[in-house]
Amino acid sequence: MSDHDRVPVPSGTLARRLAEERLTRRRFLGRLAAVGAGGAMVPLLAACGAGATASPTAAPTATATGTPGPTTSSPSAEPTPAPTPEGELYVYNYADYIGEDAIPSFEKKYGVKVTYDPFDTYETMTAKISGGNSGYDVTFATSVDVPGFLARNLVQPLDLSLIPNRVNLAPEWQDPGYDPGNKSSMPYMWWTTGFAYDTEKIKEELTSWAALWDARWKGKMAMLDDYREAFGAALIRLGYSVNTTSDAELDEALALLQEQKPLLRTYTTDDIGVLSSGDVWLSHAWGSDVYQVVAERPSVKYVIPAEGGIRGSDAMVLLAGAKHPVAANLFINHMLDAQVSAANTNFIGYMGPNAAAREFIDPAILDDPTVNPDKAAIEKLQELLDLGPDLQKYQERWTKLRAGA
Amino acid sequence: MNRDRTRDAVFLLPGLAWLVIFFAVPLAIIFVVSLGSRDQFGGVVLDTLGFQNYLRALEPDFLPTIANSLRYAALTTIFSIAIAYPIAYWISRYGGRRKTLLLILVMLPFWTSWVIRTYAWMTILRDNGVVNGILQGLGITGAPIALLNTDLAVVLGMTYGFLPFAILPLYVSIDRLDPSLVAAARDLYAGGRAAFWHVTLPLTMPGVIAAALLTFIPAIGDFVTPDLLGGAQTITIAKVIQSLFLSSKDWPFGAALGFLLIVTTVVATVGTLRILRREVIG
Repeated sequence: MSDHDRVPVPSGTLARRLAEERLTRRRFLGRLAAVGAGGAMVPLLAACGAGATASPTAAPTATATGTPGPTTSSPSAEPTPAPTPEGELYVYNYADYIGEDAIPSFEKKYGVKVTYDPFDTYETMTAKISGGNSGYDVTFATSVDVPGFLARNLVQPLDLSLIPNRVNLAPEWQDPGYDPGNKSSMPYMWWTTGFAYDTEKIKEELTSWAALWDARWKGKMAMLDDYREAFGAALIRLGYSVNTTSDAELDEALALLQEQKPLLRTYTTDDIGVLSSGDVWLSHAWGSDVYQVVAERPSVKYVIPAEGGIRGSDAMVLLAGAKHPVAANLFINHMLDAQVSAANTNFIGYMGPNAAAREFIDPAILDDPTVNPDKAAIEKLQELLDLGPDLQKYQERWTKLRAGA
Repeated sequence: MNRDRTRDAVFLLPGLAWLVIFFAVPLAIIFVVSLGSRDQFGGVVLDTLGFQNYLRALEPDFLPTIANSLRYAALTTIFSIAIAYPIAYWISRYGGRRKTLLLILVMLPFWTSWVIRTYAWMTILRDNGVVNGILQGLGITGAPIALLNTDLAVVLGMTYGFLPFAILPLYVSIDRLDPSLVAAARDLYAGGRAAFWHVTLPLTMPGVIAAALLTFIPAIGDFVTPDLLGGAQTITIAKVIQSLFLSSKDWPFGAALGFLLIVTTVVATVGTLRILRREVIG
């Protein structure tokens, strides 16, 4: 018996005993580590662009209080009779996608306490509101998604009597294709997609989408991690519509994107990050994001390619099941106020659809073709439309592209 | 006898309930969802159940992705154990009174968010980041080396993240080792290396196996690190599943891939444990 403990040869009994004891301790620590790991396995995070490096000039403060009365195109109109909003409001938006004073001025004006939460990726937001009962009242959806959200009863129609500021919208925004009459959404900001490159690293002038397929810049290029945008770029280069549902055309686009993949450094939604850091010299990019890049790296230039680009917009929507609908409608109205809209534009560098706001927008922004392209450039842009069930054709090919070699 | 039985059953109940509610039931849900299809808005439709998603998962398009995942997980496991073993050995043999403190220091990074730590690696590995800054500052390189968005960055980030998983089981195993066994080997004219190879390593093999499993299994499911530190070509199956759930909203197909991943991992783990337990412990 005592010999068993002394003999230094791992006999069956001893080894088994050691192993058993080790297993117990190990299992406990292993489980502890697994629980720790489970907690540490924070779910997804994708780097959302929009670092607040924009250089705002003196942003006009939004203290304009319109007089109640006739709702003609005065800079700020009040709904009549004066509404009583609920005490709270929950807003869900992209990070850094609002002016500094928009929320405080709203809180002061109506005495509403606003909880403003940012989401890291658009997918997080759609996943959250898809469950219903997200707890939020207002969110910012890409306009192309608004019909789908309506059909799934995720958003509800607005109370237009509480939104008299809608007269401030430019004529082309009064009746958009995705939401006739703006009954269930109000446009917030619009933007363009093209590409941007560092003129210090790339000495020649680039004007075509073909630049993103040029093997000379291998390993220094990035594309947006967004299947509508990526396929859009390929389809425009091939001369097709970005809303095509033709299998043949989509297969051609897929082949083109597969050709491009080995040349890329990364697919990202953080175009601001990769361009600012210099990791990438040439990137598929959103115009207004480049406005923020230039603040850090002035040599970066944005181009709407000769073949055309993409135009899109974000819209404010009232979520179904919102617990504070009056406050939500008033908030949307507040964002359409000319000075608030201009302050937002001046801070984040995106153009709004607000005609009355133009007189308050920083002239540097109005003159900047990356944020405010002229009519000729806008003509070349295609708008992304809701594709309904045919969206699957894009998604399947995107999975094939990303998962393949 | 019967009272012991019921008492055992009562003690098992919480653990069993946990296993059923949080593992078996979700697994069943995933399986059912994987048999369905998606509607046009990305919801799940369970009208016609079939195995079409599994057939799609086995298409050759996904082989590079699966190969990538296995490669990263394997490399991460190997490097983690290679780095963790000396650390665990040192803490056990030479830690002395500070063993607990050293172990706490090993666990300390876990109290920071995983994602933030991965972001820190981005700052270190970027073209104008810390490493490139030092190399260029010392004149070793002229232009920045692409460290971020490469396989190297992914394996580095994953090894860094999973190192505590490897250190702890190895520490436990090494700590249980009776030093007199090693001393006996030395008495029998074994050199340092021979003593390690013939005595220490075989006896700590259960710890190595545990460390390998605890590293490999989470590594194969990690989508955060390849996403942040990887590039266009470093796609893993975990990232594809995430993308299917969030961007493409094809939950049934994502569920099918996820279910295949879980089943493969469980089968491989159980099989490996069975074989190794038989051969190593005897």
